[in-house]
Amino acid sequence: MMSANEGLVHVADLTKHYGEVHAVDGISFSVARASVFTLLGPNGAGKTTTLEILEGIRNPDSGKIEFFGHRISHVDRKEKARMGVLLQEGNFEPYLKVKEVLRLFASFFANPLPVEKILDMIALQEKQHAYVKTLSGGQKQRLALGAALINNPDLVFLDEPTTGLDPQARRNIWSIVTNLKTQDKGIILTTHYMEEAEALSDHVCIMDHGKIIAEGSPQELSAQLGQETIIEFTAGEATDDSISLLESGCKAARMDGDQVTVETEDLISTMEHLLAWAKKRDIELKNMVVRQPNLEDVFLSLTGRRIRD
Amino acid sequence: MGCGTMRSFLALLHAEFVTILRDKATLAFTFAFPVLFVLIFGPLMGGSGGSQAAHIGLIITDGASSDVLKEVITYAGTITVTDFGDELALEEALGKQQVDFGLMWNGGSLRFLYDPSRVQENYTFQELAQGIASAFDLRHQNLKPVLVINKVHIGKAAATNWFNLVVPGILAFSIFSAGLFAVSGHLTAMKERKLLDRLVVTPMRPVTLLAAIACVRLAIVYISTLVTLFTAIGVLHLTFSVNWFYYTIFVIAATLASMGFGTIIALLVRRPGSASNVANIISIVMMFLAGVYFPVEITPSYLRAFSKALPLTYMANAMRYVTGVSDMTLVRFWAITGTLFALGLILFPFLARYVVRVDRR
Amino acid sequence: MKAILLVTLERLTTAFRERVTLFWFIIFPMFLLVMLTLIFGNIGKQGQMSFSVALANMETSSGGPADFSALVESIFQEVAKPTEEEEEPLFSLAQPAAGEDKDAFIAREKEAVRLGNLSALIVIGNGFNQDLMGNITGQDSATGSQSTITVYQNQGNTGSEMATSIIAQIISRIDREILAKTGRFDEQKAVPIETDWIGSAEGEVPYVDFLLPGIILMGFFLTGLFGVPESILFARDRQILRRYWVTPLTVPRYIAGFSLGHVALCIVQFFFLYLLGRFAFGASLRFDRIEPVAFLFLSSLTFLAFGFLIASIAKTANAGMAIANILNMPMMFLGGLFFPISGLPPVLKAIVFANPLTYLAEGLRVSLGVETGALSTLLTIVVPLFWIALCLLIASRRLKWDVGR
Repeated sequence: MMSANEGLVHVADLTKHYGEVHAVDGISFSVARASVFTLLGPNGAGKTTTLEILEGIRNPDSGKIEFFGHRISHVDRKEKARMGVLLQEGNFEPYLKVKEVLRLFASFFANPLPVEKILDMIALQEKQHAYVKTLSGGQKQRLALGAALINNPDLVFLDEPTTGLDPQARRNIWSIVTNLKTQDKGIILTTHYMEEAEALSDHVCIMDHGKIIAEGSPQELSAQLGQETIIEFTAGEATDDSISLLESGCKAARMDGDQVTVETEDLISTMEHLLAWAKKRDIELKNMVVRQPNLEDVFLSLTGRRIRD
Repeated sequence: MGCGTMRSFLALLHAEFVTILRDKATLAFTFAFPVLFVLIFGPLMGGSGGSQAAHIGLIITDGASSDVLKEVITYAGTITVTDFGDELALEEALGKQQVDFGLMWNGGSLRFLYDPSRVQENYTFQELAQGIASAFDLRHQNLKPVLVINKVHIGKAAATNWFNLVVPGILAFSIFSAGLFAVSGHLTAMKERKLLDRLVVTPMRPVTLLAAIACVRLAIVYISTLVTLFTAIGVLHLTFSVNWFYYTIFVIAATLASMGFGTIIALLVRRPGSASNVANIISIVMMFLAGVYFPVEITPSYLRAFSKALPLTYMANAMRYVTGVSDMTLVRFWAITGTLFALGLILFPFLARYVVRVDRR
Repeated sequence: MKAILLVTLERLTTAFRERVTLFWFIIFPMFLLVMLTLIFGNIGKQGQMSFSVALANMETSSGGPADFSALVESIFQEVAKPTEEEEEPLFSLAQPAAGEDKDAFIAREKEAVRLGNLSALIVIGNGFNQDLMGNITGQDSATGSQSTITVYQNQGNTGSEMATSIIAQIISRIDREILAKTGRFDEQKAVPIETDWIGSAEGEVPYVDFLLPGIILMGFFLTGLFGVPESILFARDRQILRRYWVTPLTVPRYIAGFSLGHVALCIVQFFFLYLLGRFAFGASLRFDRIEPVAFLFLSSLTFLAFGFLIASIAKTANAGMAIANILNMPMMFLGGLFFPISGLPPVLKAIVFANPLTYLAEGLRVSLGVETGALSTLLTIVVPLFWIALCLLIASRRLKWDVGR
């Protein structure tokens, strides 16, 4: 972990409890310039709570927060002036036009970027005179992102920026985020999409039940699983008993509905064993995929659950 | 105020203003509502004002002398008389509300006939009937009344009619409900629709947003009262002698105070949707109990006491004063206006910040 | 059939789980019933009204049997006394304190009238007794005049107007009493006065009996005007209905279930209001006959049809609510539900006669025996039926059951 001097944000032992529930349970991390820092985890892991504490919406119960090298007790206007926030939920006045929304948000900052530049960045030039209520979901999200970037912030918070968007809209957002990195900004991203974390992140913290259970770059995290190879296939006729017999020829095998996942460090031996097992029990192997482990597998290996569960 | 805050304020002012202008349905409603109130409630409630106009159905039994009776009726008030030949026809006309009550004279006794379903009007009709009966009783014995009441009006130039007294109350009510709903309707709806969240995470000061909302609402309320007032003058041919300076000051104070009351509701009633329901109930209670449409003196004592605690009672009185309908000492006017200002300036910005805060634990 | 009943159940369940529905369709009408009955229920009756009045008797030649000023004064004092049942008197009477300068008292009370703090000031002038005696003895002459009692009032104050009118009545009573006391008026020859009521009623209809049918209709009206378009339009806009249309459920079946649900909601409303009116305010209306039930059913259907009409005119749910809001007040208050609708200007009268509520309110009240009815029974049935037909005709052509189609 980098030292406090190098990072835009440094968090130490941050906690937030709601009664018996430890929403954020003593987490520590730092975020540097020109990097995308991702909090990855299932719903309820504490990602949004963590972000909202840093955005100044919630108060922590304990912990240390430093912004731009200064320790702060709460986020006030000075910090907000250097931050851009894309909330998980929120709306704009439906009767305002796109350009009017950006102008409004620009007025909250001392040195905002020109509205035309933001429109260009979020690719909404043609929609600048359109009412908010006429925008699609993806366009509204891009507008929200534009409002978050209007002040040319050093630090950008993106809370589940692509949830609910179609693949094209998602790629648009990813492209903007990647561009932000080249502008020397620090980005804190939360997501429960493994592929998003893998595509965008420089540093990933996997969260579960308020704690960081693993962290590193996506490659480092995947490498934790060693030389593992993952074989996935669909086998409707397989049962738990037969799967357990499969385990003798691999590191681990499990069944989730009719989806079977096999982990192995010896691909060829396992494939031979697998084919023999399927032939003996007359099981048809469909949709077989052989791949390297990803963050989902890392989470699974750590918690026994999928991120999507 | 720094120039950054001024810039935010102007931008928020613009955003709030265009939002209201573009929401045609809400805009029409805001202006049409008080006008409708005047045009509908004015004539409707005018009947309970105790005016002495009535339409009597008269039956004089053959042979009975009716000159005295008719003379008495003529002097009793603004009364139209229709003669009927028989009781059945009179009953039918009463049932159809073609006449207000019936009067039958057979030379020996007077009989008054009423429609029991006209519950709110019969009190007035019976008063009138009693007056006719008393006067007729005297005249029947060749007597004239020896006493007469000399009414001397004290106060502003006599109101042209009942509506003159009602319209200022309606104006006060429309100010009150507009201010109330600006917070417990509009602001809480913004909160519920998550329009505030994105604003609150910026350096924008909540008080700047509230000031912008207040300014726009003030302007709209003021214009709306003018539209209502001029409608009353043009359509209902009422006359007012408005002190425009006091009127302006008062409308500002009343609107601010009403927004303050709306803030209290929004704070006490957590769910934004419920806040506007509570505001509706409160404004209806106030409408009926603040002496806007009828004098509170006709209500039970506990309701009269309650009306003394209602802000709208004082707003209606002050509005009658600034529109030249009734009198008030200047001290009392400034006391009411000053209190409203103080309430508004304290409650609205101070407490409204808590409403604007994104609702997190 | 099962599908229809389940749609009915869905309508009812959704309605009762939404607090807004519960508020506007059940709680609000109950609240209005309570408030209007408390305010208007005893209008004119003893213990209900009270006005603040002042009286100054400036007569200096007092005492003796010819002290008419004292008689006048005592009668007003009598009116200002609480009744045997400890009810509030009609007037709270202020008079000059012993030894107080009466002119100063009058000046002060005039100011109070002017400012609206006092309803009326009665002044019996000096020389009243002599003047009145002269008028009594001059009864026989053709030029007999009247003695005046001055009442200072404020026409800018509605309470003052009412108080003055009551004072005039009292003075008229005093007039007769004085003439009787002086032997001019023969009580034995007083004209007997009878009061009668048309219809089968034995007296005035209690206000709650007049009001309750109006409130029930208001409840049905709000459910139809707001509840129906809101349910349909929001469900359509949020594409909830679309989920139904991709199943075998047809639009007619949905409408049948929805309508049944609406009627069921009205029945629930009716019971809440009836029970409140009966047990809290002693309403004596009998609904256990076919005619009132038929009118209630007709009302429920009329407003259901109105709701469909609005849903067919409005493009979005918010527009539907705006239309409902605009129609709400004129229709409700110009339908004779709460306040008498006689004596209105022609424009408003036209709305009254076009308004189906006018006919339904009258039909219901007539069927309950509350009034004899100004309109023919046929009209009270035909006009709402006409509106049902018109609304359904327009709605069947215009109502879109899915967005973007």
